[in-house]
Amino acid sequence: MIRCIEVSLAIPDNEARTALDTLRRLGITLSALDRSDLYRCEVDDEDAERLVATFSGLETVYNPNKHMLRVRESARPGAGEVWIDEITAGRADAAGGFVRVAGRTLGGVRSLERFTAWRLSVAPGRPAADDVVTAATETLLCNGAFQKALRA
Amino acid sequence: MSAARVGILIFPGTNSEDETLRACRAAGLDTALVHWNADIESVRAFDAYVLPGGFAYEDRVRAGAIAAHDRLMSAVRDGAEDGKLVLGICNGAQILLESGLAPQLDGTTRPQAGFARNAPLGKFRSTHVHVKLAIEPERCAITAGLPPGVVIPCWASHAEGRLAAHPDVLARMEREGRIAFVYCDARGEPSSEAVPNGSALGAAGIVNGRGNVLAIMPHPERDAWTFMHHDAARERARGSASAMLEPSGGIALFQGLAAALAAPVRVPAAKREEGGR
Repeated sequence: MIRCIEVSLAIPDNEARTALDTLRRLGITLSALDRSDLYRCEVDDEDAERLVATFSGLETVYNPNKHMLRVRESARPGAGEVWIDEITAGRADAAGGFVRVAGRTLGGVRSLERFTAWRLSVAPGRPAADDVVTAATETLLCNGAFQKALRA
Repeated sequence: MSAARVGILIFPGTNSEDETLRACRAAGLDTALVHWNADIESVRAFDAYVLPGGFAYEDRVRAGAIAAHDRLMSAVRDGAEDGKLVLGICNGAQILLESGLAPQLDGTTRPQAGFARNAPLGKFRSTHVHVKLAIEPERCAITAGLPPGVVIPCWASHAEGRLAAHPDVLARMEREGRIAFVYCDARGEPSSEAVPNGSALGAAGIVNGRGNVLAIMPHPERDAWTFMHHDAARERARGSASAMLEPSGGIALFQGLAAALAAPVRVPAAKREEGGR
């Protein structure tokens, strides 16, 4: 099964704030921009629950004092979202070895993809339209020369 | 000293401006530091720009991505279009690729390549390297005064220095002479072992089509005096302060910049091909 773990900051996110200010300066009107780290894992059914516990114990990935961790219902970008990944980094397949994150082996994980997820809003609770997401992606959030962008 | 004035641009997070300033001045350049909040018209008055290393805007989003849209860069873009010389080192090189000023195939200003995280582990590396001039010197104004195939010692100090682009773009960059410097050993032999970051084509430096914008990842300014070297030259200078403090090695690139500004060289346009990416 596919499990998508999302880790985001519970404290103010300076990186997202800088990106928001830059996009506004470039003429892309947004009310908010949120950022999170995504780990999309293909995991054996019997190991799915253990996966969440494993991520919760990765101190360099998740610090409960400043992060929130949740399992996303969908393993695809939602409305107003874009997920960025390096084309050349690729997928960490477990074939012949183990999938590792932050030095820890993820038991039962067959493959892992890591993304930076950006969620764009034009008003509280109103995701940005596709054309706005595309403009922000192409202008700043993704360097298409070596990154790929997944959109809703 | 050249009458031309060089502006060293400082973004929030830049940290190599002092070494770069010293190297420029040792090469005889009239150089000034320019902060990100400087009056933009005063920035436009410079004859050349150097973008030094560091972590502009903390490398937020991507290394160089925010700085590429900074207001200072409007002066750099306009200056590059007017033929002014632009040298980007390390983070400065990342900014030049993110801003599309290099390799600038087909004259586009969209990023066509980037410096991605080092391979294979994606980790920061700080190591002594050598780079070799891989184009005809005249192809780039800043290298026009250097000997063909010159080998320059530098320090690689980055986490994102791996040239990455679509294979078609890489092929064009190689074909059209955009790979200005490649990593090599101390004797000037390029090899995969000499590449500290998995960079495509072993590339350490990228030049634009007109030859007036050069982006180089490793730091020549950190190996620009004899006392900084990691070879027999430093041992030979031991016991002599004046010999130790003699500019050498990486200073060559700044001397090249000074020579280009003192006697501008007409750089032929890069060969263009149709149908590229």
